[in-house]
Amino acid sequence: MRQLLRKLLLIDLFKGLWLTLTYTPEPAFTFQYPKERRPTAPRYRGVLRLQVEPGTGAQTCIVCDQCAKVCPDDLIELGGHREPGQKIKVLDYFDFNLSRCSFCGLCAEVCPTKPIKALVMSEDYELASYSRDAQILRVDEMYDGLPIQAYVR
Amino acid sequence: MGLIDHRFDDNVITTNIDTIINWARQSSLWPMGFGLACCAIEMMAAGGPRFDIARFGAEVFRASPRQADLMIVAGTVTKKMAPVLRRLYDQMPEPKWVISMGSCSNAGGPFPTYSVLQGVDKVVPVDVYVSGCPPRPEALLYGLMRLQDKIRKEGTVLRRERVIRLGETEPVLVGERG
Repeated sequence: MRQLLRKLLLIDLFKGLWLTLTYTPEPAFTFQYPKERRPTAPRYRGVLRLQVEPGTGAQTCIVCDQCAKVCPDDLIELGGHREPGQKIKVLDYFDFNLSRCSFCGLCAEVCPTKPIKALVMSEDYELASYSRDAQILRVDEMYDGLPIQAYVR
Repeated sequence: MGLIDHRFDDNVITTNIDTIINWARQSSLWPMGFGLACCAIEMMAAGGPRFDIARFGAEVFRASPRQADLMIVAGTVTKKMAPVLRRLYDQMPEPKWVISMGSCSNAGGPFPTYSVLQGVDKVVPVDVYVSGCPPRPEALLYGLMRLQDKIRKEGTVLRRERVIRLGETEPVLVGERG
């Protein structure tokens, strides 16, 4: 009899609805992505980026080829030339094939330049391209990063 | 859309119709759930309340390819899975788009082996490649926004095809169809 009354008066349904109602006044849990950008963790590994010396803007990469050697998928190709009379090599090209990259961070870890690391894992994760050719980052994209396009409705 | 597809010249009315059709298409992209590996977890996170892909009108993950507009290939595509993927793509009704999500489906990722397909674009035409291993849910949303940009520039009722050349942003009209 009690069971029947419970069923007829829809007690369980109203219990559930009451639970929903108690959560309703809370603000939305949703993170409004194109408007706000969630800060990444300090250990976060985004796309690879070449750094210049702050202030002077001089090249920090010494073209030692260690990042290309350590990469498990052979995605980095770089080369440079030596100016006559100068000790340091000048970086000519730095091709980074993003398409296969598994963001392991070995290339940035092995980079020997001090005090500013030439290669770092940046915090950029907005990486969408329309073709496979666009996924091979050239040296200027390695310095500046890929442009992030704004959201248009 | 078979009656009006690619049958009209470029004028004020048809371009406005195109704008409306493209707006409708880009605001209700129904993806097909095609999670194959760890990228699928991020795809599900993007579908959840925290990132909420519903804000872009793409929340209805369909279990059937016949109800879907968009295929998000999330994960490693093995050569055994490739014919299945192609069949599912063929079963999707036009218009259809493909997002390749993650390094594995972009180019095979860290598996240059005999059993893994080296890039899903060997089997289906890919519109947007989202890089990452796996990409964050935000990166997938960014890829979806880029796809919406692409859809916005498509020409549906025009006889000539609208093509965005490599390295350019604005589409140009080329060719003559039918």
